[in-house]
Amino acid sequence: MKRYFKYILFLLILIPSYSLPQDILQKQYSYALEKYNSEQYYDAITEFKRLLFFDGGKKYVYDANEYIGLSYKAGAKFSDAILYFTIAEINAGNNEELFNSKIEIIRANILRRTTARALTLLDTLQSDKRFISKKGDLYYWRGWAYIFSDQWDKAAQSFNMTDTNKTMVEFCKNVQHEKYSVPFAEIVSHFIPGAGQIYTGHYFSGVLSLGWNTLWGYLTVKSFVDDRIFDGLVTGNLLWLRFYNGNLQNADKFVKEENLKITNNALDYLQSGYHGLKP
Amino acid sequence: MKKILFTLILVFSTVIYSQEKNQPGNNDLFSPVNIKKFADYLFCQKDYLRAADEYERYLKSIPDDTIEFKIALSYSAMCNFSEAEKRLGTIKNTSNFFVPAQMLSLKTIFQEGDIARFRNAYIAKDSDLSIPKDSGIALLYNFSSLLTEASIHNEDDFVENFPYQERSRIKYFYEWKENPPEKSPLKAALFSAIIPGAGKFYAEEYSDGIWAFIATLGTAYLAYDNFNARHYTRGWIFSALAAGFYAGNIYGSASAVQIYNTRIRFDFVNEVKTFLEDKNYFLKVFDFCK
Repeated sequence: MKRYFKYILFLLILIPSYSLPQDILQKQYSYALEKYNSEQYYDAITEFKRLLFFDGGKKYVYDANEYIGLSYKAGAKFSDAILYFTIAEINAGNNEELFNSKIEIIRANILRRTTARALTLLDTLQSDKRFISKKGDLYYWRGWAYIFSDQWDKAAQSFNMTDTNKTMVEFCKNVQHEKYSVPFAEIVSHFIPGAGQIYTGHYFSGVLSLGWNTLWGYLTVKSFVDDRIFDGLVTGNLLWLRFYNGNLQNADKFVKEENLKITNNALDYLQSGYHGLKP
Repeated sequence: MKKILFTLILVFSTVIYSQEKNQPGNNDLFSPVNIKKFADYLFCQKDYLRAADEYERYLKSIPDDTIEFKIALSYSAMCNFSEAEKRLGTIKNTSNFFVPAQMLSLKTIFQEGDIARFRNAYIAKDSDLSIPKDSGIALLYNFSSLLTEASIHNEDDFVENFPYQERSRIKYFYEWKENPPEKSPLKAALFSAIIPGAGKFYAEEYSDGIWAFIATLGTAYLAYDNFNARHYTRGWIFSALAAGFYAGNIYGSASAVQIYNTRIRFDFVNEVKTFLEDKNYFLKVFDFCK
């Protein structure tokens, strides 16, 4: 027994010396997490930063950075969030952590509306053999990326590639169906001034546009018929063409406005009425 | 004896090891020493809001004028100038930071954009502290006269106040102030009254000028032509349009000049701001992160 005494003593010295600071860091981690869970994001960031500062062994480097990123994201500071998710990604200990941090970066990019970046990152993940089993997740987030870039048809296609989101497929298809066609509005306005406005439900504006174009069109044609060529050119250029162009621009503007309303209503519904994972 | 020795080793080694592992200070992450270290880290990371909060927490335990000064620097970096000025005012005259704080306080007043208050505050502080004429804040005071309405009479005297390498820029700012390249809205309106669209040309809105000329003369001609052809209704319609274009163009030309003047004044203020920021308002840079 006496032989082993010095080893026991050595262990007794070592164990508390290592466990005590770890215990403090563990407490700090719990404290920071408590702040995060109670939605005190500013304080959560401070406490996770404090944890990172004192965590010499870098035990919490992944978790703390991930939570800092999530806190910044909750405060709509997406660029800051991406910075911390990237640090978490660099310090990921396994494939699961790596995948999670990359997905968080993609989600922040979707919210930041840097869709091209989100799609590029999704492409990279999709071609990575380590994440072959996560294809459903990747299509899911691709769908959301398309939603935020107002491409509802592509979003429906992406959700269709997942097994569980058929309601989202239908929803996206409906939104796409509800939206007005920009080319149609422009084309009909070329032939019948005001038709584009009437197509989007702006009847008064459409009739007014038709009236002005008829008046100046009539005066222009009448001038040419009466051999008053200069009058015809001036009336045609200064008045008729202006109203005609205005009609085309108006049709385009109204379609875009109406489509924006439809998109915003859809996003509004998804925010409050959809219970699945959101960016 | 052996037992006591072992116990002592055990206790001491635990404390020593744990301090080493935990890097700065002791085990309590919220001890004043550790709060200060963390705050310094945040400050150097330019996370000024959190740094200020942590410094405030530290000050509750230990009064420290350096920390007071750093809190003010943090607020100043966040463009919260009123708070920075308030914090600088709390630094006592026995502190080593008293004079720098007074200078920084003047700078924050300047940064707030209240030039008249800055100049009055400078004069008051100069009578108290006798500010050296070649100090940074004195240069800023001289520079501030460029941003007042009052004229600067002697260009050479004014420019020579500044270091040699800055003089060409200062000369440029001086000339802008004394002879601003602004245009007259009245002239623009008169030009457009004589030749429709000329006022727009004067305001450097060339395409608008061409359109105004064509629209006014075109509709006026149409009115004349229709009256000649005894189409009185159309004649009156085109007369009303011509009058509308003519009057609108006169008003539009005066407005265009006002917009032009606002734009060049805005550009000048931005240039001045960029220059001063580049020179840190002629003041010494406090670098606590070296």
